[in-house]
Amino acid sequence: MAMGELERDVMMQLWAADSPRSVREVHAALAAERDLAYTTVMTVLDRLARKQLVTRSQDGRAYRYSPAYSRDELAAQAMASALHDAGTDRDAALLRFVDSVSPAEAATLRAALDQVERARSTKTSRPAPARRRRRSDSR
Amino acid sequence: MTQLALGMLAVVLAAPVPVLLGRARFLTQVPRAAVVLWQAVAVAAVLAALGAGLAFAFALVTPHGRPGGLDLGAPRILAHLVVLAFTAVVAARLGWALASHAHGVRAMRRRHRELVDLLADGGSSAGSMTADPAQVRVLGEPVPLAYCVPARGAHRVVLSTGTLRELGAGELAAVLAHERAHVRARHDLVVELFTAMWIAFPHGVRSADALRHVRTLIELLADDAARQVAGAVPMARALVRLADARRESPGVALGAAPDATADALLRLDRLAADLSPHRALAAGVYAAAAAVFVLPTAMLALPWLVHALEVLR
Repeated sequence: MAMGELERDVMMQLWAADSPRSVREVHAALAAERDLAYTTVMTVLDRLARKQLVTRSQDGRAYRYSPAYSRDELAAQAMASALHDAGTDRDAALLRFVDSVSPAEAATLRAALDQVERARSTKTSRPAPARRRRRSDSR
Repeated sequence: MTQLALGMLAVVLAAPVPVLLGRARFLTQVPRAAVVLWQAVAVAAVLAALGAGLAFAFALVTPHGRPGGLDLGAPRILAHLVVLAFTAVVAARLGWALASHAHGVRAMRRRHRELVDLLADGGSSAGSMTADPAQVRVLGEPVPLAYCVPARGAHRVVLSTGTLRELGAGELAAVLAHERAHVRARHDLVVELFTAMWIAFPHGVRSADALRHVRTLIELLADDAARQVAGAVPMARALVRLADARRESPGVALGAAPDATADALLRLDRLAADLSPHRALAAGVYAAAAAVFVLPTAMLALPWLVHALEVLR
């Protein structure tokens, strides 16, 4: 988890920068706020490069890193896969809570919701299902 | 004869049976047993088809209908090998579909996980609501989003700021419990199996019915889990609010499945009713699943068993 946070902070630095940054520069910016080893920053940048989230360019004897995509571009990529049309094999990657419906269909669903609320409110006086029953039916 | 019987069994299990299962509304009363039955039918169809190929290949070199009476003439051997090779190709195709789909899906999930980890808002308010805050990510998007990225030991539940704005605390708890149920029960593996089988079968033969129905059933299972944590009404409210997400962001082309409304209505129906285990029905469905699963193997083994008994006598 710590690695994930570090990756995020390093990306933030690169996104905020207007030109490619060396490991030293990224380290200097991050180490101002916390205790952080130079080699850790190097490892994080290496990981990000392997994930193709940053690009690396040779500058003399050192590497310079810049973001492969802007934050908005990455957000667009994430949204595209999150909202991907159903019905293809790609769809199996994520399990969505519910697919969206048209406004007309939404009205139908709201009517059905009213029924659920009515049905459940008339049953509030009944005892909750026993523990053993719950387990047998849904887990 | 075995090959004919197995071939017919494969055809029946591949075409009419899924249609009938899809129409059987009573199966939605026992979603867990129904998922097992769907899997049994799918696996049995494959076993029967492969078994038919094997039985046919062996029948070619045993013309007298006895496993013992071999006829090893060149044309029969050749035909035998051709049929065996064809059967092997069918098996390999299915195996390849499973493996490549599993690999592709995992790569997509890994990429998506990397993206949401980078993009998520720090210190999310949803984090405090859940038992595993480390796995919840909130994206700063106005569109209401709620889904999980399954992965063993590295899953993520993804929400958006739009979702947090749209839902009350109880509804949010229902969404999180629903997604965690998917993660815990590895529903993704079931979806993967049916997706891979759909990919493996040639166009024209395959049907997306099984995949669609199984997807609906796992949603029912996750809803059942969510209502026990958060209650049926918050679960139903969350469902309707998030299904209506397009109202808030008409510009976004949200993925809309053709059966989205029918599915949501089915889920609401179940939420309106008391949770009841339907034990007898579930037992019957499990028994049917076991029978379907055993059938092709038994049919393949039967003539050999009969022959073995005759030899021993």
